[in-house]
Amino acid sequence: MAENDKIIQEFTSGEYKEGFVTDVEQEFVPKGLNEDIIRTISRLKEEPDWLLEFRLDAFRKWQAMEMPRWPHLDLPEIDFQDIIYYAAPKKDKDRPKEIDPKLTETFEKLGIPLKERDVLAGVVAVDAVFDSVSVTTTFRKTLAEKGIIFCSFSEAVKEHPDLVRKYLATVVPSGDNYFAALNSAVFSDGSFCYIPKGVRCPMDLSSYFRINAKGTGQFERTLIVADEGSFVSYMEGCTAPMRDEQQLHAAVVEIIVEKDADVKYSTVQNWYPGDADGKGGILNLVTKRGICKGDGAHLSWTQVETGSAITWKYPSTILKGDNTASEFYSVAVTNNYQQADTGTKMVHIGRNTKSRIVSKGISAGRSQNSYRGLVRMGAGAKNARNYSQCDSLLIGSQCGAHTFPVIRSDNPTAIVEHEATTSKISEDQLFYCNQRGIGPEEAVGLIVNGYAREVLSRLPMEFAVEAQKLLQVSLEGSVG
Amino acid sequence: MGYGNYKDPFVGRRPDYTVGAGEKLELTFVVLPGESRDIDVAIDLVGEGAEVSLKGLYLCGGEERVNFRILMHHRAGGCVSHQLFNGIAGGASRVTFDGRIIVAPDAQQTEAYQENHNIVLSEGARVETTPQLEIYADDVKCSHGATTGRLDEDALFYMRTRGVPEAEAKVLQMISFLAAVTPADRKEEIENAVNQLV
Repeated sequence: MAENDKIIQEFTSGEYKEGFVTDVEQEFVPKGLNEDIIRTISRLKEEPDWLLEFRLDAFRKWQAMEMPRWPHLDLPEIDFQDIIYYAAPKKDKDRPKEIDPKLTETFEKLGIPLKERDVLAGVVAVDAVFDSVSVTTTFRKTLAEKGIIFCSFSEAVKEHPDLVRKYLATVVPSGDNYFAALNSAVFSDGSFCYIPKGVRCPMDLSSYFRINAKGTGQFERTLIVADEGSFVSYMEGCTAPMRDEQQLHAAVVEIIVEKDADVKYSTVQNWYPGDADGKGGILNLVTKRGICKGDGAHLSWTQVETGSAITWKYPSTILKGDNTASEFYSVAVTNNYQQADTGTKMVHIGRNTKSRIVSKGISAGRSQNSYRGLVRMGAGAKNARNYSQCDSLLIGSQCGAHTFPVIRSDNPTAIVEHEATTSKISEDQLFYCNQRGIGPEEAVGLIVNGYAREVLSRLPMEFAVEAQKLLQVSLEGSVG
Repeated sequence: MGYGNYKDPFVGRRPDYTVGAGEKLELTFVVLPGESRDIDVAIDLVGEGAEVSLKGLYLCGGEERVNFRILMHHRAGGCVSHQLFNGIAGGASRVTFDGRIIVAPDAQQTEAYQENHNIVLSEGARVETTPQLEIYADDVKCSHGATTGRLDEDALFYMRTRGVPEAEAKVLQMISFLAAVTPADRKEEIENAVNQLV
């Protein structure tokens, strides 16, 4: 048993390999949140007046709102005046265009190349965000040849203000919820992507978010617009240093899918989960929503959630156009004291709209893992159909797994099916593996990977490999 | 933290039924057209080997409001609970089903199942179902399922092409949909109600 404890300790303390801190000179705005801070952020980013107005309006809405208490989470009190809302690595004044080699090194270490390389397979364009600013966006020229715009949000505001203004906050209004309002007020950077009519994006696009500075929060905003008949596969990754303090991450992602367009959005969320005693970690409180605006549009969400001390996240789709379709595939793993309340909302408005939800929750240690979802069939959603499946796997007797689906049908022709199961890894399965020389840790990894396979197989190649490894690491130390 | 967000539901509220070791509870709820009902049942399984079986049937064709609130709390381990609620909503009726299963920490070897199936007959009818599972023990078998839908076109086609008139085909399908929750002694009464609905 002592041996086991040692193994557990080693894994839980040492295995978050992205937990390092990069030592670069950074500039900060003062701690706290008020209209002056928002004006400062807006000024630092050289924003137009309309955007400052948008921020201030959101801030006033936020002040009148209250922190949501409905999630099945032990949310700590967050002191919003004790957070630094903007932190950016200092630029060399003589060579403002160049990226600090330390930053390149950081992203290199995380496996995110900032230099465009000639690789035969697996070319991915990356927008790398470090604390509050985007460091660089690769392959912009190659993409621009096809008319695709892929850049940081700040650049988009400067270079394509009309597009940003047309679509910003059309899916997630600034007053949508507490954290979306906060994000709208103080958001710093993020990615912007526009795929023109009929264009199939030749490579996967990706945003990588890195929190580095102490005492800060990250508030990025991503806006993806897929015009008629276009296609894009978008990936998102994130990591943060290991610290004793909890850091706030409140992001907003908006996706607009026009007629016959197709968007695939994949996330591998690997924020620092806190240590084995539940100290530190990221509070991941994000709003992600897409709209299938035109007829025949398709939006697919895939998420692998392994990190964060607390996750509060419901990537959702509004199926507005006729014959639109959406899918949600999720694997959420919680260990130690992690808490997750995650799921999706499928709002069917158009006729013949279809959606599918596959959610796999895995809880270990003393963690709490909840699926929360809404399937709503509007009065006009003729012949709409949804199928949901939510499975929970429990590892250890002190964790919890919960399922809170809401199904609402206002239409006699709509069909909704939901099923959920909760179970543990059976002794028989473990015995079978042990008997064949596979150790307990490895056996659990094997069984979990098999259990999550339906979701993992939806991920783009580069992500699938990483996600499989992550699942293994997240659960290490949970048997014994 | 730890059991952090487990809350005993029977603090400040008494269960409607407390089922002890080796005891067995069976309840069936029948709501016929024209009746609006709020059915609120809270059950606490407190002794090993307790068994509960709940069945519910509802038929709405007008302005009825039928609300179910079921709370099944597995306090002790080794208990079994089954729930099956099937109903048909027509007219301008509103049906809500709010079903919670809570498995307390250490209530190992629990088996808890819940199903809620709905058929929506008309444009004006609304169904909202929220089956919820809260599980704080690991050696359990729990599942829930919920569906809302319409009468099966293929089955209707099959019957119509074999000479069964449309109204009768619908009635037959509804009767079979409700069969699993129909108490033997009220079969005739329920079949008459289905006939009236069509």
